Amino acid sequence: MTLHMTDPRRHSLLEDVQGIAFGIVMAALGIHILTHMGFATGQTTGLAVLIAYTGNLPFSLVYFAINLPFLALGWWYLGHRFALKTLITTAALSILTDILPRWMTLGPMEPAFAAILFGILFGIAALAVVRHGGSFGGFSIPALILQEKLKIPAGYVQLAVDIIIFSAATLILDPATLLWSFLGAATYSLFLAINHRRDRYIAA
Amino acid sequence: MTDPKSHSLIEDAQGLAFGATMAAFGITILTQLGMITGQTAGLAVLLSYATGIPFGPVFFAINIPFYWFGYRRMGLPFTIKTFLAVAALSTLSALMPSWVQFATLNPAFGAILFGFISGAALLAIFRHGASLGGIGILALYLQDRTGFRAGHTQLIFDAALFATALTFLPWETVAWSFLGAAVVNLVIAINHRRDRYIAT
Repeated sequence: MTLHMTDPRRHSLLEDVQGIAFGIVMAALGIHILTHMGFATGQTTGLAVLIAYTGNLPFSLVYFAINLPFLALGWWYLGHRFALKTLITTAALSILTDILPRWMTLGPMEPAFAAILFGILFGIAALAVVRHGGSFGGFSIPALILQEKLKIPAGYVQLAVDIIIFSAATLILDPATLLWSFLGAATYSLFLAINHRRDRYIAA
Repeated sequence: MTDPKSHSLIEDAQGLAFGATMAAFGITILTQLGMITGQTAGLAVLLSYATGIPFGPVFFAINIPFYWFGYRRMGLPFTIKTFLAVAALSTLSALMPSWVQFATLNPAFGAILFGFISGAALLAIFRHGASLGGIGILALYLQDRTGFRAGHTQLIFDAALFATALTFLPWETVAWSFLGAAVVNLVIAINHRRDRYIAT
């Protein structure tokens, strides 16, 4: 087996496909652990689990539905290519989270371990997808648009979203579950803050 | 924002902790399914199945002779980081079965999941200047000095391990194990690029 050394600055299509596929599988596993433990989290996934828990609805359906208006925003403001790529990623993640329980069911899990494992799985998923020019869409789309149009840093918008989602979570989760949820979300944020560096991973 | 060309101590620590945790989770999936894999971890799993001794202690013991070689060829920081990563993987793999249990796990999905998780673990460990054991040290050494890809060295070692495994494991288990090991090797072969991830 010989793999050609491609241009270090540019990913080939195959490289992007494997990177984004990897990210989708890791994200689906993270969501499986999250919902198995009944944890909350931030961003679009966080909103989707809260609706899924309170409405007793399947996560996959709620997650996909929430993403649709954001995808429309992306289509108008961030370009058709970006919107279509994000639609494929979002649809694949929704389908995989739906199918995954047929292939794997979890037994008892230590909450602290589940929270940290969720954090690093979601972190590596986001890192791989972003490095390969993809996106999980959701709230990152309005955050990016606001950053481009109004110069509001995307991180602030996403922090505001997380504060609202976690405030809502306090109404439906018990304190211990909420605490473990924080640990998971903090692990995820810290992982991305340390490792998402375009000056180190130079390919696009 | 630290120097893009060089990792700080804390950055290396989190990268190695990520790698050891993911690798231990991969081993938990692998041993749950009674599968094997390649490289040093594969040898340890095979010996663990054959003797009944848990993976953690076997893996830790197998790696001991390679530290001298690692020190001579790759230097002290690499050897210390590798020792810490190996010790962390050995300990975490012993603890993890009490932290997570699988009620059901499909062999094909488990094999692919093992491949992705172990591949990401090894990438992080390589990028943070360490390795997960003897064969990894040899493979990295060869790649950095001769240009012979680390993935290829690992493939040759894997072939020998899998031939041995066929003599006492069901062929279906060996076939799924092969799928998992192929995914690990592909993840490394495609993504382990020092010209793309430039920090050391």
